[in-house]
Amino acid sequence: MPPTPVTGPASTGPASGPGTGHARHAGRPAQDRPRGGPGGGSGRHGRRIRPVSAGSRPGPRRRVARHWPQYLAISPYYLIFTVFMLFPVLYTVYLAFQKWDGIGDMHYVGFQQFRFLWDDPIFWLSVRNTLVIWVLSTVPMLCLALVLAVLVNSTKRLTAFYRVALFIPSITSLVAIAIFFGAVFSNNFGLINAILRSVHMSAVPWMSNEWTIKLVIATLMTWQWTGYNAIIYLAGLQAIPSEVYEAARMDGAGPARIFFSITIPLLRPIILFTVVVSTVTGLQSFTEPQVLFGSEAATNPNSGGPGQAGLTTLLYFYHQAFDNNDFGYGAAIVWAFFLLILLIVLVNWRLVQRKERRP
Amino acid sequence: MDLSRRRFLQAAVLTAATAGATAACGGGSGPGGGKDSKNLALWYWSGGLSDKVVADAKKHFSGVSLKTSVVGGDFKTKLLTGLRAAQSAPDITGVKGEDIASFLPNADRFIDLRTVGADRLVPQYLSWKLKQATTQDGKLIGFPIDIGPCATFYREDLFAQAGLPTDPAKVSAELSTWDDYFKAGVELHKAVPKTFLVNNIGSVFSMIIGQGTQRFIDENNRFIGDQDHIRTAWTTAVKPYTLGIDAKINDNTWNAAISNGALGTEIGAAWHALDISNAAPGTKGNWRVANLPGGPSNLGGSFLAIPATSGNPEEAFKIISWILSPENQARGFTDAALFPTAPAAYKLPALTGGDPFFGGQKTIEIFGPAAEKIPSAYEAPADAAVSAPFFSELTSIEAKGKDPDEAWKDAVAQAKQIAERQGVK
Repeated sequence: MPPTPVTGPASTGPASGPGTGHARHAGRPAQDRPRGGPGGGSGRHGRRIRPVSAGSRPGPRRRVARHWPQYLAISPYYLIFTVFMLFPVLYTVYLAFQKWDGIGDMHYVGFQQFRFLWDDPIFWLSVRNTLVIWVLSTVPMLCLALVLAVLVNSTKRLTAFYRVALFIPSITSLVAIAIFFGAVFSNNFGLINAILRSVHMSAVPWMSNEWTIKLVIATLMTWQWTGYNAIIYLAGLQAIPSEVYEAARMDGAGPARIFFSITIPLLRPIILFTVVVSTVTGLQSFTEPQVLFGSEAATNPNSGGPGQAGLTTLLYFYHQAFDNNDFGYGAAIVWAFFLLILLIVLVNWRLVQRKERRP
Repeated sequence: MDLSRRRFLQAAVLTAATAGATAACGGGSGPGGGKDSKNLALWYWSGGLSDKVVADAKKHFSGVSLKTSVVGGDFKTKLLTGLRAAQSAPDITGVKGEDIASFLPNADRFIDLRTVGADRLVPQYLSWKLKQATTQDGKLIGFPIDIGPCATFYREDLFAQAGLPTDPAKVSAELSTWDDYFKAGVELHKAVPKTFLVNNIGSVFSMIIGQGTQRFIDENNRFIGDQDHIRTAWTTAVKPYTLGIDAKINDNTWNAAISNGALGTEIGAAWHALDISNAAPGTKGNWRVANLPGGPSNLGGSFLAIPATSGNPEEAFKIISWILSPENQARGFTDAALFPTAPAAYKLPALTGGDPFFGGQKTIEIFGPAAEKIPSAYEAPADAAVSAPFFSELTSIEAKGKDPDEAWKDAVAQAKQIAERQGVK
């Protein structure tokens, strides 16, 4: 998840009512996170951030000529983006129609890779796993983040400390977290099972049951990203004018009523933003299962753990492309998956927008 | 004011652009390689060769400058990327045993070592290992660094508690078939309830596959993963699970299991001894090594290869053959637990000594004969990919209690699909 500051929707001020216009801005930072993945989303959202120049608009060529220093100033990002993101993304489209082992000759195979994909039960298993892990992580993550943000917003002391503390998990090395979680949840010798046994409860096979595996991965993601989302909510909360709260209190609203009738409606654009970002990144879980379930094994690496319950789609893609040297099939997997993410983002968008229209 | 701001902007832009360009270039250049004949680049991974032997090779070959890179991360992927351009490709590279088969279809990316002097050295090395790096038309693309002859590592103290034989020769004789081995496991588990026989059934399956002369795909590129030899291996592998002597360890807790006595035996390659002694230093002296039930098997073992773009293949092969001479392989065994591929090394003091971790047992008496008797099997480029579902389904049996027959059907169906994707008939 990119550490992009989210000033856009907050600064416009939800006081004027959370219109769809703001919501559209919220899509802006939906960039790819740095740890990889197909990263299809960036280009799509990138087009929306073209700065809206005030006043009269001269022809595009003249505008480029007049603002060349500014264009040049932002060019490094686009150059690097083109070389390391756009080109690979486009190249995978080409690859998805080829059979290629990485160094040999490519063979054009038409839609064959997609036909294989359609018939591949493991691909569908990985999609199911990914969706379950995404729901298991995103829902508690965003709810917790909102509660935490409201709590931190209401404290007067140590606010800087809380903010730093909230942000630290999101900048901690994911591999280190995964190794730590692996030790905590380990079946026979983990911390949690040791505690359970000490209070005479039976140990839970966290790392071998197909549901607890997903729960562990989701817990890990929740732990890592709750604070990040809380910081975003916090920024949104501080943009809500205090007069609104004051008026609510004057009318006799309690804390719960204020939370549900003032805070949540006014935060809606921010919530939409976090939902979109969490969808894009939450569906791209890869490192968590890769580190948790013996990726270095010589036989059957990156299988996603017992019962392949931790096999997310991106891990499956990685396995096909880099373990099996089946790059064409890998490309087909990520493109099919990209379309799925796009679909889910659109559904989310629709859902939240429909709610907004309600008076 | 206006002008100076503009200048400031321009300067900022230039700085930014330079930084961007530097970053862009920085991403592209990997560990150095060269096309000239005096500077040779050698890639290997940590522990892939003896660092001391490599350091000595630099001194020994004073005529060339040997630049070594210990490449971390996914070695095969980095090598694949490096091979795409002559400038980035190394002149000598390690290739892991599990990857060598997948490089055979692109043998033209490597020098045929028989053309640079390997021919006269070949008889000194294990023929079954050389075959793994030989294409069907006879090109040799890799020279073997090490092998993984397999054996049974067992806890002598726990065996004694259970009234089982403790002497390596006796264990080898009495636990010579898989069924004998499982029967001993049942007795062991009965006498010491916290102790299981095997860590997971995937390891049994891979051992049995290694004991055969056929794998998942035959020489005519036909899928044979649904045939009797695999089915028998599967049925045998599932037995410890049904007998309740399978520890079902498929996560990172193996280290803890091995040190607290949850595992009474380990079936694994010679290099696995190092894993055991690292994970369980407290069990020193309690372990012994016996023959693997059902005959010798191999797991792992890497190669050194010369990419076709190498600036000086003749010199590169001289370096390879020096690093992999029997004497230096014996040093590799001492330094990095690399089991030699030249049987002449088995008679050298580095290997014939007793190992205190195994109570002073001379483990070469088990591994040496096993190494020379390992059956030679054709390993197709797609073999690892096609075998993956079998291991996944065996894990499903352990994790979910999936019905073994259903798991077998699913494994075969998935393997067939992967085979089709990989162009196997």
